[in-house]
Amino acid sequence: MQNDLTKNRSNGQQPAETFPTAVSPLQAETGPAKEIISRVRTTGLHVGFGPREIIHDISVEFPQNQVTALLGPTGSGKTTLLRTLNRLNEMSSGFWMSGRVDLDGRDIYQDFSDVREVRRAVGMLFQRPNPFPQSIEENVAIGLRAHHIVPAPQIHQEVERQLINVGLWDAVGDKLDESPFGLSGGQQQLLCLARTLAVRPEVILLDEPTSSLDPISTQRVEDLVTRLKEKVTIIMVTHNVQQAARISDYIVFLNEGSLVEANWSREMFINTQNHIVEDFLTGRMG
Amino acid sequence: MRRQHAVDIFMWVLCGIALALVILPAVDIILDVLIHSAGSWSLGLLTTTTFGEGGGLLNAWTGTLVLMFLLFLLAAPIGVLGGIYLAEYSSLRGARILRFASEMLAGVPSIVVGYVIYLVFVIVFGWSFSVLAGVLALTIMVTPYIMKSTEAALNQVPSNLREGGSALGLSHSLTIRRILLPIALPGILNGLVVAEAIGMGETAPLIYTAGWSNSLPTLQLIHQPIGYLTYAVWTYINQPSAQAHQLAYSAAALLLIFLLLLIGLSRWVGTRASRYTSRFQV
Ligand SMILES: Nc1ncnc2c1ncn2[C@@H]1O[C@H](COP(=O)(O)OP(=O)(O)OP(=O)(O)O)[C@@H](O)[C@H]1O
Ligand SMILES: [Mg+2]
Repeated sequence: MQNDLTKNRSNGQQPAETFPTAVSPLQAETGPAKEIISRVRTTGLHVGFGPREIIHDISVEFPQNQVTALLGPTGSGKTTLLRTLNRLNEMSSGFWMSGRVDLDGRDIYQDFSDVREVRRAVGMLFQRPNPFPQSIEENVAIGLRAHHIVPAPQIHQEVERQLINVGLWDAVGDKLDESPFGLSGGQQQLLCLARTLAVRPEVILLDEPTSSLDPISTQRVEDLVTRLKEKVTIIMVTHNVQQAARISDYIVFLNEGSLVEANWSREMFINTQNHIVEDFLTGRMG
Repeated sequence: MRRQHAVDIFMWVLCGIALALVILPAVDIILDVLIHSAGSWSLGLLTTTTFGEGGGLLNAWTGTLVLMFLLFLLAAPIGVLGGIYLAEYSSLRGARILRFASEMLAGVPSIVVGYVIYLVFVIVFGWSFSVLAGVLALTIMVTPYIMKSTEAALNQVPSNLREGGSALGLSHSLTIRRILLPIALPGILNGLVVAEAIGMGETAPLIYTAGWSNSLPTLQLIHQPIGYLTYAVWTYINQPSAQAHQLAYSAAALLLIFLLLLIGLSRWVGTRASRYTSRFQV
């Protein structure tokens, strides 16, 4: 995957781009500073619907193979920002934007000939599970076929592999031909995750993926997310500060459509200088 | 508290009255038809053709089936595809023209549709009273309805699912076929049933186009009129003889039975086709 993208970049018109790396301030308690190697980056991003601007001039980097939590009060534009990263906002009426969104140095709005390729590379899990009205097997297979991920004879095996990967195989292995709507909400969400992972995304966007789930299912999704970051970059909107503390490596904090602070989680929790962030993290605002 | 209770009861009563206003006339019609036709039920009714003011209804019920079958062949694909186009490609210029045309047609009285088809096809094209002219008139009548109900069924699919397809990078047409249509299917089927029922109950546009025939339907689409049940109801109810009345009521009873069969058929298709949506909740 990495090689593919590097190749694409050098084949493109523009010269390969190297990102400047932000270095966070060294703190004794937080260990050595980490450099950001970013996979996704926005530059001077403005987003709006009709006459209203929702996202104001956001330039931020999302570190590769890390879990980034998008935090902020309700209505601060987290979902809007997230949906700009896989061009899903294009489906909303009145959508407009300016600025850039890069995936590995390629502008996702300019440098991809097909929006479907952007969305394959940047997967998304929704707030409420949304399995397709097809069999459980077909839910995973449909993306495999549409993106020619594996040859047709191997699809069944690949579906099994993906269901094992998300820990759903034991529950659904003997009812692959049944409707997904008979599964529990947590199982449906894992199925959606399997279907997203099946098309080999480089980035996964999650919009409050556990807000409709029970604690045990939430735990499973969190464990998976933590494990998945070895392979993919994860950007997750959450309302739950504890969840952000548990699983995020990096935090991007928005308020009223503007970037307030972006930093490694531990540092932000320990010594944010911003009173809005501090109130939010300590539960005085939410 | 007590006031609230009184309002509740009042609302319930209003709902009950509204329900009764819908159900009672339907029950009245069904009972009326069944009682009046009960005396004349016999196999001969189904197996002999009409002659004069008597005989059976073989020509009429087979004619109705032929008309309904051909109407389905013509109107269902046009209506459903048009509805998909309206719902899913509404930003295109064509969709706006299609919507306008469809709304116009939906407002035209059926007798006018029948008369236009009569002038153009029966007279000018020289088809004379024929199956095809009748089916064309019915198609023009019901297609806007099918389009509208298909569009509504697609628009009711939760955006969550539509976005799920897009977010996975599926093409729009694949999303339509594999995600939206299965969910919209019950609504679409329901629209088709109602459309067929409207077509089955029409008389005015058929009199000018399909004419009437005392003999069995043939395979000829033009130059050959065809019988149908609503004609039997419409003509024989106005004849003085008791025999004619019996024929009219029997035809009406057959129409009711066909309607029930139609609804049953669509339920059956619906449950068979919605294997993966049975427990879907919006
Ligand atoms: N498609 C749209 N059209 C118009 N306005 C929109 C649209 N989507 C979002 N907005 C507006 O943008 C603002 C930010 O919404 P957004 O959903 O991004 O916030 P959020 O941070 O995700 O909030 P929450 O925490 O409640 O999910 C809101 O005021 C909302 O009304
Ligand atoms: Mg949101």
